[in-house]
Amino acid sequence: MSSKTATGKKAGFFSRIDPNVSRLLVVFFIIFLFGSIAKTGSFLSMGNFQTIGKQLSEYGLMALGVGICMISGGIDLSTVYIANLCGISAALFMQKYATDAPAGTQMMVMTGAVLLALAIGAVCGAFNGLLVARFNIPAMLVTLGTYQLYMGIAIVISKGSTVSGIPKSFTIFGTGMLFGIIPYSFLVFLLTVVALSFLMRHTTLGTRIYLVGTNAKSAKFAGINNNIVLIKTYMISGLVSALAGLLSLSRLNSAKADFGSSYTMQCILIVVLGGVNPNGGSGNISGIAIGVVILQTLSSLLNMFPNISNYYRDFIWGAALIIILIANNLINARHTRKLSS
Amino acid sequence: MKQTVKKLTSRAESYVFVIILVLSAVIQLRSGLFYSNNNIVDIVRSMIVPLIYALCAYLAFVSTGPDVSFPLIAALSSYLATEIALKTGYDGPVILVFIIAVFFGLLMGAVNGLIIVKFNFPSLIVTLATSSMYSGILFGVFEASRMDLPENMYNYGKASLLSVKNATTGLGSTLPTTFLIVVGLYIAAYLVLNHTMAGRGVFALGGDEVSAQRAGFNTKLIRFGVFTVNGGLAAIAGVCYTVMSLKYLPAEFAGGEMVVIAAVILGGTRMSGGFGTLTGCVLGTMLLTMVTNSLILVGIPVYFQKVFIGAFIVIGTALSASSGRKRKSAGKGVAANV
Repeated sequence: MSSKTATGKKAGFFSRIDPNVSRLLVVFFIIFLFGSIAKTGSFLSMGNFQTIGKQLSEYGLMALGVGICMISGGIDLSTVYIANLCGISAALFMQKYATDAPAGTQMMVMTGAVLLALAIGAVCGAFNGLLVARFNIPAMLVTLGTYQLYMGIAIVISKGSTVSGIPKSFTIFGTGMLFGIIPYSFLVFLLTVVALSFLMRHTTLGTRIYLVGTNAKSAKFAGINNNIVLIKTYMISGLVSALAGLLSLSRLNSAKADFGSSYTMQCILIVVLGGVNPNGGSGNISGIAIGVVILQTLSSLLNMFPNISNYYRDFIWGAALIIILIANNLINARHTRKLSS
Repeated sequence: MKQTVKKLTSRAESYVFVIILVLSAVIQLRSGLFYSNNNIVDIVRSMIVPLIYALCAYLAFVSTGPDVSFPLIAALSSYLATEIALKTGYDGPVILVFIIAVFFGLLMGAVNGLIIVKFNFPSLIVTLATSSMYSGILFGVFEASRMDLPENMYNYGKASLLSVKNATTGLGSTLPTTFLIVVGLYIAAYLVLNHTMAGRGVFALGGDEVSAQRAGFNTKLIRFGVFTVNGGLAAIAGVCYTVMSLKYLPAEFAGGEMVVIAAVILGGTRMSGGFGTLTGCVLGTMLLTMVTNSLILVGIPVYFQKVFIGAFIVIGTALSASSGRKRKSAGKGVAANV
């Protein structure tokens, strides 16, 4: 019932927004409705939504990074490892300077650690971008190489073990909630979504990213410096990955070089699910954000059926990705036919 | 003569070969253990499975683009073959186990090929998705776990072509019979790619799809064929890996694709398609196997391994990308030299 009124209210809004986004919303409501009916007690609880909010933010952020890279015509497979590298660096920094420090300095050290992580993320991302733009290496290959590199660096600085022992107050970001309702990590995700939406829709850089992704050659002839645009794109991806790394550090109270390696696949799945064209040029941030929510809701729902093995999830994600690709393809084909007739 | 020199210096393989020589010399000087009989046999032994994978990655790149599903196809098809052999108590020649695995591998490869050809989707995304599905089937539906091999497979894995023992260190090493399979596959690949119309078509398709079509190649069939064959090759690699480890180890397969892809690209195969050599595949694989196997001989800690591999990929691809651009601007066509 609640879903019906929600769609009804948005009817005017619907005609303006992207058809893909509205399709995704419909999918979301179907899953939501199914969950509410099948598992009313456990699904429709505050705790469940808070868990969903907490769990989606880490890979949700990385998916946003992968998404804007894909819009620019590339891909970023290194997000997970940038996140881990940033998490480990921040943890080591805090371990070194904050463990015995008084409360006042501890705050400063924590801020320093966050800035350090963000800086490392930006540098890693910019390095990816530089290789993609300046050396003209396909993005997939660049990030395939740098992911080994960043993971390697993370293993070296952490000596291959789990880094833990960060100040208690830092873990609030990952576990605490605003007014006891909204998890802080979800808030970070939400703010990033808003910021990136604004960037992609209303700034020159956003428009340029779309242009470069649509047709790099014409963008160049239109006077755009493709190299700068691409470096900035990958830098943003590195930055949001750093945020993801910080969130996972504070949630788990530890960081590890090979944490979350399955997220790479999930991020690509989300981005394609969210309507980004794998060849670049189209797609939007809100689509990706809804894709994240759909994936986590479905995942939490699956968890409520104990007889479904966790490993089936791999199968479901893979199948879902292909089905969505095919569906989008068919819908686009029909759309083109309609336009041409 | 001058032309040969020029040709050699313009190719990625030559650089890889030089790096291999230098690296091996450094390792030899620092440890004195590189050019020992057991180390050489060890390296060849560790190259067997990656070399078969490299063929998959190579064929995919030359014709279309990346294929990342081969480790999971290897895992699932070798699981099915081993399980069938165990359940039926089959105790005949191992070749039948290979045939069963190849059958399933071809099937899975055909799924990849069908989706890629029918809808023209990027091969990376499709193979990522299908490998996730195959992983779900392997661990979810079949609940695969470590298992012992039937006697015939175990004995096949134990059998050796060559067995050496280092006189000074006392360390021994054996070359398994699976080595012959790799040699056979590479000879077959060489003959098919260079002496058949279909093989020419693979390069033509990767070089320029439209031109290949105009020239009369059935591009869809070739692309479908490449991904199907890749599935079969992956299955062979999976059974080889299983018999060589003398146990079926489901969790060891995933993640093997990245290093293989790196090796193939280092060997000069172009990501944009249409160009690459089998020699390059072998040399690239050899280099990365040496890095993984022998860094420890020089006293570099194991945890530096990833840094080295990553650096090799980044630097190697940057070099080959820039030389590729030069070649393009010089106006030379693509060729299928081996």
